[in-house]
Amino acid sequence: MSTSESGVLATPQRSLLNRLGLDRFSALYLWGAFMIIFGLWKPDTFLSMTSAKLVLGENVSTGILALAFLVPFCAATFDLSIGAVMSMSVVTMCFLSDEKSRSFNMPVGVAAVITLVVCTLIGVISGFIVVKLKVNSFIATLGLGQVITAIVLKISFNRQITDVFSGTFEKFGRNQYFGIPVVFFYLAVAGIIIWYVLEHTPVGRFIYATGGNPEAARLAGVKTDRMVWGSLIASSFLAGVAGIVFSAKLGLFAGPQATGPNYLFPAIAAVFFGASQLKGRPNVAGTFIALYALAFGIKGLQLVVGTDSYWVNPMFQGTTLIIAVSLASQKGLAKIRKRKVQTT
Amino acid sequence: MAKILHIWSLSKSFPGQVALQDATFDVEEGEVHALVGQNGSGKSTLIKVLAGFHQPDPGHNVTMGDEVFDIGDAAAAHRAGIRFVHQDLGLVEAVSAVENMALGFGYRTGFGRRINWKKETLKTKQALLDLGFDIDVRVPVAALGGAARTGVAIARALQESEQNISILVLDEPTASLPGADVDRLFNAIRRLKTRGIAVVFVSHHLEEVFEIADRVTVLRDAKVVATVEASELDMSSLIELIVGRKVTAATVDRFIDQSLEPRLRVTDLWGLGMNDVSLEVRPGEVLGVAGLTGSGRDTLIPMLSGAMERLGDVSIDGVTIRAGKPSAAIAAGLAFVPADRLRNGIISMMSVRSNTTIANVARNKTGLRLNHIKERAETRDWIARLSVVTTSSEAPISTLSGGNQQKVMMARSFRLDPKVLLLDEPTQGVDVGAKEEIHSFVDAAAASGSAVVIASTDSAELARLCDRVIVMHRGRIVDTIVRGGGSMAQSIDKVLLAGSSLASN
Repeated sequence: MSTSESGVLATPQRSLLNRLGLDRFSALYLWGAFMIIFGLWKPDTFLSMTSAKLVLGENVSTGILALAFLVPFCAATFDLSIGAVMSMSVVTMCFLSDEKSRSFNMPVGVAAVITLVVCTLIGVISGFIVVKLKVNSFIATLGLGQVITAIVLKISFNRQITDVFSGTFEKFGRNQYFGIPVVFFYLAVAGIIIWYVLEHTPVGRFIYATGGNPEAARLAGVKTDRMVWGSLIASSFLAGVAGIVFSAKLGLFAGPQATGPNYLFPAIAAVFFGASQLKGRPNVAGTFIALYALAFGIKGLQLVVGTDSYWVNPMFQGTTLIIAVSLASQKGLAKIRKRKVQTT
Repeated sequence: MAKILHIWSLSKSFPGQVALQDATFDVEEGEVHALVGQNGSGKSTLIKVLAGFHQPDPGHNVTMGDEVFDIGDAAAAHRAGIRFVHQDLGLVEAVSAVENMALGFGYRTGFGRRINWKKETLKTKQALLDLGFDIDVRVPVAALGGAARTGVAIARALQESEQNISILVLDEPTASLPGADVDRLFNAIRRLKTRGIAVVFVSHHLEEVFEIADRVTVLRDAKVVATVEASELDMSSLIELIVGRKVTAATVDRFIDQSLEPRLRVTDLWGLGMNDVSLEVRPGEVLGVAGLTGSGRDTLIPMLSGAMERLGDVSIDGVTIRAGKPSAAIAAGLAFVPADRLRNGIISMMSVRSNTTIANVARNKTGLRLNHIKERAETRDWIARLSVVTTSSEAPISTLSGGNQQKVMMARSFRLDPKVLLLDEPTQGVDVGAKEEIHSFVDAAAASGSAVVIASTDSAELARLCDRVIVMHRGRIVDTIVRGGGSMAQSIDKVLLAGSSLASN
């Protein structure tokens, strides 16, 4: 369809490397490589259904948190408070529905709704700081994240809270359907909704335009302030969902540091790595592919290393993020070179 | 005169595209040789091959004097005494002319590797005086005027090896220079000529060709169409060579119904460089805005479109447009094309399609969903109507040339069927053929009842399009020129010159 228009240039011949898509599909290739390497290395454990299920289920909260980071990131806005918001979500759930120790003892459903309202309000506040007070989003959400962490510490007395939820709630987190952990479906549904909004609605177009050139977008009639503010609200809401799913799955609050912030880095890594994939801009499918490519790699390495594997996560995530983003900037350079050729 | 460089059958192809085909080109000693042609005609390719930036296809034959010249080799070009000043000049804006001169050459140092600033300063000062620039060489280059900056770049290119320099190539040296600066630059070029240095320069401004060039080489569709003495050409024959057909620049006679209420009404407009300006534009009328940079000509449209702060009332068909709300202005029927395309216009990471439709995405919506097929078809239609050169509607807009990006900006505005259309330097960086296409779209917009405002530094363009031209000076309207009775362009220029002499008094 691309060559039928009038006055078009001939499409340059694509190199072998280009056709294989090593750049745009590097995460898929990486994923495949991990499956083969670790599959040969640890065939009994790595290739078992149990570990596949484990990886699928374990990364759901991270995945939803990645979506939370992705939405404002498309509008070139950082939300670094989402880790703290996820913490807030978990601790609020515990606080409101704890059957043993606390005074509220609410039904889980009510607690979840209140939790989401609280988290959404945090998004309203961060949006206010970024849009109205005109604080750089990186700084605003980094600061707000600390404030939220402080509140979480105050509520929880920095203690672990265990076994607080009703059985029905935990079913939402621990059941399996067709052999797949139920929480994975939550991630899939959230992903499809975000994908649809970003790729197939005007709002998605406006968010990307805001991220691409905010002033040009504003002058073309895009309500850029609304896009930034709205995307920050959406991201806090999603971080709240990530926290609720986490509660349902684990049934405990493991202390403020261990809950949210620990999930922030892998989520960001997946979004950044994913942004170099497929369309070469932040996108849902790329994020998911990157998320699970990294997750399976980590699982494999953990199995290889054995019991001392606590250091594997950060090491692996850090190195792959740097390598992935450096590959992406090579691609950027290649694009510029190509443009030079076209305009001569 | 002696031919110092002679190129026969030079070709350069890129994958899927021939950029230069069988070109013949020569340079005579001490001449000024203009290279002209539309965007993508092969001018830049020719220069880049000469500079050794691209390697040519085999089969060429190039001599320099009596010797075979290894074209496509940067070191050989340098040895042969060919120097280049590119459009972006390659200066470090934050440091002085003296330090810029030393970039890539180094300083001569004295005892203890101390830089002899006095000597360096004198050397730079002299080099610039030789070009006719008497400037302070110690201030940051950013503080210098456009022509002086170009002067520094030329002086830097020529230094150290003065004796054996034979050719200086200037790539669009006047693209971003205001009129007075162009004269200073041409003065420098004439001085180079007397030193026996041939100057090859690329330009889109054809009137400059007649002013300074001895010979002209015209390129079209990757081929050299002709090399002629400038004295044998006139404007229309040159345009015909460039475009390959006759371009009729006939102005359209419009009927403006004076009994209709004005579409656009601006009352008591205040802002940066704007002192209490009021104006009215009726349906079907095209109003031109002329003036020097800083006169208000350059800030009027940014103020009306919401890119700059303003005070005062702006209304479209009686509906007041609030300042700082571009979305509301667009909803009320306003569309605009900014002068600063990269900053205020294109969203470079997005496709041609997204850039075309961004001001009204909802048009191609079915239910909640964006109908990509419909949107793509609409974009293709615009690509065809404005002859945009692009691989497809899905190509990132950053891969298009400047002129084609400008056409996409036009498409974005025209598709809104605006009641009020504001155009700021609408044909900047656009070649002759595309210029006429854009002009005919402006005619069409006026014919359909839009009120059009065009701010332009090009008097000929204003004369071609406008029914009425206001001339601005120091934020006020100092004159209004109405069509009919003599050359409009000349009248505009006359008032502009009077304005600048007022300013210098």
